[in-house]
Amino acid sequence: MSNIIIYSTPNCIYCKMAKEFFAKNSVTYKEFNVADDEKAREEMVAKSHQLGVPVIDVDGEIFVGFDRTGLAKALKIQ
Amino acid sequence: MFVLLIIGGGPGGVAAGVYAARKKIKTALVTDTFGGQSLVSTDVQNWVGTKSVSGFDLGKMLEEHLRAQEDIEIVDSDVVISVKDDGEKFVALTKNGKTLEAKFLFIASGSRRKKLNVPGEHELDGKGVAYCSTCDAPLFKGKVVAVVGGGNAGLEAVGDLLPYASKIYLLERGDHPKGDPVTLERIKKSEKLSIFTNVQTREILGDAFVKGLKYADTKSGETKELAVEGVFVEIGAVPNSEFVKELVELNKFGEIVVDHKTQRTSHPRIWAVGDVSDVLYKQNNISAGDAVKGILNIYEELSR
Repeated sequence: MSNIIIYSTPNCIYCKMAKEFFAKNSVTYKEFNVADDEKAREEMVAKSHQLGVPVIDVDGEIFVGFDRTGLAKALKIQ
Repeated sequence: MFVLLIIGGGPGGVAAGVYAARKKIKTALVTDTFGGQSLVSTDVQNWVGTKSVSGFDLGKMLEEHLRAQEDIEIVDSDVVISVKDDGEKFVALTKNGKTLEAKFLFIASGSRRKKLNVPGEHELDGKGVAYCSTCDAPLFKGKVVAVVGGGNAGLEAVGDLLPYASKIYLLERGDHPKGDPVTLERIKKSEKLSIFTNVQTREILGDAFVKGLKYADTKSGETKELAVEGVFVEIGAVPNSEFVKELVELNKFGEIVVDHKTQRTSHPRIWAVGDVSDVLYKQNNISAGDAVKGILNIYEELSR
């Protein structure tokens, strides 16, 4: 099972899309709301070297934005 | 082989899909997502029949309505990248490598965000340069930011940033922000906001992250710098018409020229609606209505 983290903000539509994509494919993930969680925000910036959400960490592989094709590949989803 | 291929899943594409299915026209629809550009809006208050809906839920409503139709082939999470016409039918190729053939083409591919095209913008994209204020505003908590563009999108970006940023500069090229007066009055109440008019952004400065913005005061001719950590670019849109530029007439903005009575383009088998067309007002309700016009015109053509 992959270790998946999503860094998101509450109004971010692409974060919602990513989470729906996870739900549809029965992928479990940990979520950090970087609007409130300062530590997670720093972690996200350190991992992705940028300030846009969502940032998705799949076993250390970092995705910026909702990259459906890239995520499907990393998670071996058809 | 389809009779009709619809490109786009915003209000125009979905309205076209619903009407085409109800007219029993053999149709395929290709779209990346449902909802069009309103998808990122926190609150849409002018979609007729709905007092208030988020862009996300509007997209869901559109998708559900389309999927409720019988006999329509929906190709989602995909984009048409090229279209060829062999004189009888169109052959469309998608990003995921799908080929679709259809006699008629219905373009509702909308538009995408215009970029500033100044040094630093591309290099610092995501590193302080942002295009989605509803998404990324919270990441600029306590920071000084600039919003470029005083249209509705620019004013809304300021509204999204007000709860977070410590200071916001709104940079407008003309002599006053052109967005809705109601929004302007609301955001002007905040002391965090400074509005600069008659200014042109020249460069975005920074290395790992944005540190500043260089602009020209078009009245005095002076070039000045602002120390900012974020730049939100909200200067309008460019139509997604490149993939048919060889097939139809475009105006100088790249919009597809249509007959506004029928939505037909310069090509007798291509129709276009919404923000990709040269419609005067870019609105969800208008895109949907124009799509209905277009499909009824195609239906008439088929019954001839």
